[in-house]
Amino acid sequence: MEIQQETCINESLYDVLVIGAGIAGEESALKLADMGYRVLLVEKEPSIGGKMILLSKVFPTLDCAACITTPKVSETARHPNITILTLTEVEEIVRDTKNRFSVTLKKKPRYVVEKDCTGCQECEKACPAIVNDQFQFNLTARKAVYIPFTIANPRVALIDIDNCLLCGACEKACPSNCIDFTQKEEQLKITAKSVIVSTGFKLFDPIQIERYGFGRYKNVITSMQMERQLAPTRPFNNILRPSDGKVPDKIAYVFCAGSRDHTVGNPICSQVCCMYSTKQAQLLMGALPMADVSLYYINIRAFGKGFDEFYEQAKDMGAKYVKGKIASITEKENGNLILRYEDIATGKVTEKEHDLVVLSVGILANPGITRVFKKERLETDALNYIRQTDLLQSPAITSIEGVFAAGTATAPMDIPDTIMSAGAAATETSSYLARLS
Amino acid sequence: MKKKIGVYVCHCGGNISDHVDIEKVKAAVRDEADVYLVKNTLFACADSSQKEIGSDIENEHLDAIVVASCSPKLHLNTFRGVAQRAGLNPYNYVQVNIREQSSWAHSDNKTGATEKAILLVKAGIAKAKESEALQSLKIPAANVVAVIGAGVGGMKTAIGLADMGTEVYLIEKDFFVGGRTPQWGTVSPNGDEGAILTEKLYKEVVRRPNITLFTGAELVEKSGSIGNFDLKIALRPRFVSGNPSTEAMQRAAEACPVAVKDDFNFGLTNRRAFMLPAQGQFPQVPAIDQSACTRCGECTAACHEVDLTQEVQTITLHVGAFVVNTGFDPYQPAQGEYGYGELDNVITLPQFRRLMEMNESELVFNGKKIKKIAYIYCVGSRQDDDEGNTYCSRYCCTATSLTAVLAKKKFGNIINFHFNRGIRTYGKHELVYEAASKQGDIFLQFSLKSIPQIEKRGNKTYVKVKDILTAGKELETEADLIVLVTGMVPRKNELLAQQLKIPTGRDHFFNEIHMKLRPVETVIDGVLIAGTCQSPKNILETVNSSMAAAAKINSVLTKGELSLEPTLAKVNPAACDWCDNCSKACPFDAILQTEINGKKVARVNESNCKGCGMCTPVCPTDAIDLAGYTNAQVESMIDALAEA
Ligand SMILES: Cc1cc2nc3c(=O)[nH]c(=O)nc-3n(C[C@H](O)[C@H](O)[C@H](O)COP(=O)(O)OP(=O)(O)OC[C@H]3O[C@@H](n4cnc5c(N)ncnc54)[C@H](O)[C@@H]3O)c2cc1C
Ligand SMILES: Cc1cc2nc3c(=O)[nH]c(=O)nc-3n(C[C@H](O)[C@H](O)[C@H](O)COP(=O)(O)OP(=O)(O)OC[C@H]3O[C@@H](n4cnc5c(N)ncnc54)[C@H](O)[C@@H]3O)c2cc1C
Ligand code: SF4
Ligand code: SF4
Ligand code: SF4
Ligand code: SF4
Repeated sequence: MEIQQETCINESLYDVLVIGAGIAGEESALKLADMGYRVLLVEKEPSIGGKMILLSKVFPTLDCAACITTPKVSETARHPNITILTLTEVEEIVRDTKNRFSVTLKKKPRYVVEKDCTGCQECEKACPAIVNDQFQFNLTARKAVYIPFTIANPRVALIDIDNCLLCGACEKACPSNCIDFTQKEEQLKITAKSVIVSTGFKLFDPIQIERYGFGRYKNVITSMQMERQLAPTRPFNNILRPSDGKVPDKIAYVFCAGSRDHTVGNPICSQVCCMYSTKQAQLLMGALPMADVSLYYINIRAFGKGFDEFYEQAKDMGAKYVKGKIASITEKENGNLILRYEDIATGKVTEKEHDLVVLSVGILANPGITRVFKKERLETDALNYIRQTDLLQSPAITSIEGVFAAGTATAPMDIPDTIMSAGAAATETSSYLARLS
Repeated sequence: MKKKIGVYVCHCGGNISDHVDIEKVKAAVRDEADVYLVKNTLFACADSSQKEIGSDIENEHLDAIVVASCSPKLHLNTFRGVAQRAGLNPYNYVQVNIREQSSWAHSDNKTGATEKAILLVKAGIAKAKESEALQSLKIPAANVVAVIGAGVGGMKTAIGLADMGTEVYLIEKDFFVGGRTPQWGTVSPNGDEGAILTEKLYKEVVRRPNITLFTGAELVEKSGSIGNFDLKIALRPRFVSGNPSTEAMQRAAEACPVAVKDDFNFGLTNRRAFMLPAQGQFPQVPAIDQSACTRCGECTAACHEVDLTQEVQTITLHVGAFVVNTGFDPYQPAQGEYGYGELDNVITLPQFRRLMEMNESELVFNGKKIKKIAYIYCVGSRQDDDEGNTYCSRYCCTATSLTAVLAKKKFGNIINFHFNRGIRTYGKHELVYEAASKQGDIFLQFSLKSIPQIEKRGNKTYVKVKDILTAGKELETEADLIVLVTGMVPRKNELLAQQLKIPTGRDHFFNEIHMKLRPVETVIDGVLIAGTCQSPKNILETVNSSMAAAAKINSVLTKGELSLEPTLAKVNPAACDWCDNCSKACPFDAILQTEINGKKVARVNESNCKGCGMCTPVCPTDAIDLAGYTNAQVESMIDALAEA
């Protein structure tokens, strides 16, 4: 692709380009920045923090996710050696003659002057356009001009132009005069000596499994939606089921939704859903002491430090673990759901009624980034994760020299494993940079 | 002097405000002396709140701030940073913990929790009033790391550090590097050979001039603190110098008359006191096992490189930090546990892997051909609380599924029965389980309440179980060999744990400082942990954690200097009469005697002082005080608390 000279507004050299600012990208960036390298951290969303900043608490410590991740987020945001670009995607990466990567970035307009916005939310109050809030996984609505969520970083408004009515109400309401409809998409060109791919994972969309009725039955939700309902920055002040706003008291978890399933093309285990479901069950039993929580599973993958003890604790608290694969879910008129399954303990096909069903959706690879590498191919494995070409000796190395991978971009994993994988990527990158010079 | 103090009370997104009435707290402290402003924040740690506090400091010219939020363990440094960036000395900041100490501790009593929070905040304000600006000390730090243990983990830590410019001493207790990995033959998930992996890593280690490898080496003494540790390392004699030829080695081993159980094969075979390196162990230079050797001298004739006069050597090293990579041991079943040690066809998974390596095309054990194998999972793992190891050993479901696949591939006519407690082949390892299922392996599941029974009838062995997968039906199968899938336990390492003071968890593995976000750091500054000494891991996870430890410690030491906390003891020589109480109380040998104008007084060695405060209460004349926690500050806090 020809880059037009006039659209190039910035030409600068970084030691490392980190793509994706989840916990993996933040950790790699911080370690390298602490070593003295200049890092450019690029995030396609308006705020950094990835999935972790949206979680409730974390297994098995039950630390509040927001409390432990916000210090990482702000440390990243203010590190003198890290430059962050949000709402930015990579368009092209190509090795240049000096063995560096020439990178073309596309920065989407915020329509708000980032440095002037104080986050006062006056614009949100004025805006008449209401749309689903993607950061609450559509549980609630937001305005067309909005701050992504309370603890977003940067905590600055943006306009979702596809849903904006162009009424100008926000422009009038903003006390700092920072709404700017004239902003255009910008193309940036930078050079980086190395690249870390930390683009994370995608969530399985359960609409693919018709027999679970997700999308048709209102009271079938995903675990990520439950995660939001349990978070400190939760949309409601209680756990509510979507159909009628009733507080549920017979909750079911369906494990392995979209994992260990050849029919949806994902034969592997997602590694985190047994544990996050067990965590949610414990939080639910705390929030709704009278509620009955049943978890329908195939095997429990409670393998990590403190996990099996955490699983035993959930059982002691009263969580009912039922070994059985769900054959189908049907909806009753009152919105309740009938789960049909083979109960392994008895060997009989059984039916059970619940008033809320949570699908423990799996983790999928997010390989879109491979397309931006030109001339050289960033290879993926059979499951679409970034291929680790020297898996046991140097797990961060990919098929392209100077390009490394961190976190769930390489495989499903939880937060500590992600931190360690990101640390390994930092060591690998730093070693590579030392060899270059 | 009058101060202008800013007080911030945090909701912690409901973690505090659900049980503490924030408005009441604010109202109660608003009129305290010196308080200039009181605000609440949803998340004080969020960037926007940090900015707000920072601009208050600048615009309102605050002299001190108090943040009432969570534990200082979590955010002391966060808010010190806020102060510093806004031009306020970080030690004019006081954190008050109203989350763990009020909200969470008294979640059943909002009134009480609120009252307690008010008092804690008042005490914090009192401390802030007495706070002084302190300057941290800079000390030179050695960009040198001692890596303890040279399995895959330790070797990767060393290579990573060396490539980033850190000097490494790689200290291995055994005479050979490689750890456990070369014992397994083919390893998951990609079918690499363990011995080839360790060979590659060893070559990388010796190629690097800034790694010095010591084998037969053990840390025996340590002093100092991060940036500057002094160590004593004992080097056991190898009794072999130079590089004997393969033939000479072989001849010497044959000449050696002393046979002992071979640990590498988990006692399935014997070896000589004259030890030959196994495949995948390095250096490929023999060593003599001192504890078995009778000094008969038979080997000296066969191999001229043998030197029985060698003695233990002690060397001293200076390093900036440690990475501990001391690995794991397989769980050792108790005598009689599933027939172990009593029946002649019950062995452990590690033993079985060695047996598979030693058998060529036919699987034979104790002279008997093996066809039916029963694997009993979770031996030494997932036990009851009072019994022992409650944790899951993580690697073993995958390793056993792989073992079953490899056994069938290598020896053909094998039937595998897996007596498990729910297969935990997490993540991509699921594919190994799938391969085992596809080749026709039989999986039966039991619970801790009804474990498999092993019975010998005639010369046949049977395993009986109530199988969960078939609605609790009692099933029995005959087995030629019973393989106990033993878990991982940390290596016994009392001396090391004692020297480095690394805390261990209930599972006896070394404990990290924060399980989620700081998995390779410990509460001891400058002592990091990686690989299987922290928790069970496979090779990939071991390598990731080791390289993460390398990144962490390199980023700390690479600047060549560290700043010390200024919260140090200070002696007022005029009041000191050298009674010696403080130096006896100090656990870090930080107090020395000195003379000022002919008077003997105490002096603090600042690079040793940890600011623990043990010395201040024992001083009869109040001559020693702790900066940041002075007597004046602590007394004013007590006054504020007692006011109620
Ligand atoms: C419901 C649920 C509950 C969980 N609970 C826990 C728990 O309790 N404890 C625990 O340890 N783990 C938990 N996890 C797992 C945890 O979320 C992951 O381990 C962690 O988020 C992985 O971090 P990451 O940085 O690799 O990926 P992500 O968090 O996915 O971050 C990737 C980032 O890259 C950005 N990105 C993607 N593509 C591009 C691109 N092309 N250009 C620029 N940016 C891009 C994304 O926007 C995102 O910000 C849970 C997961 C789920 C789904
Ligand atoms: C039967 C079995 C099969 C396995 N199969 C696989 C597989 O297929 N795939 C896979 O990924 N993983 C497998 N594993 C796991 C693998 O063995 C471990 O992940 C790996 O060995 C861990 O490496 P490490 O460096 O942490 O520890 P270790 O290999 O235990 O090495 C530790 C080293 O530290 C040294 N040391 C200990 N204490 C001291 C001290 N005080 N001073 C100096 N040195 C000391 C030891 O001598 C040793 O050399 C298997 C494990 C078992 C038991
Ligand atoms: S854009 Fe203006 S009105 Fe909206 S939050 Fe920012 S400063 Fe406030
Ligand atoms: S972690 Fe548990 S729920 Fe998730 S895919 Fe694996 S077995 Fe299924
Ligand atoms: S990994 Fe499997 S065999 Fe090992 S302790 Fe866990 S459940 Fe038991
Ligand atoms: S504060 Fe602790 S470490 Fe420092 S001199 Fe006193 S007793 Fe020793």
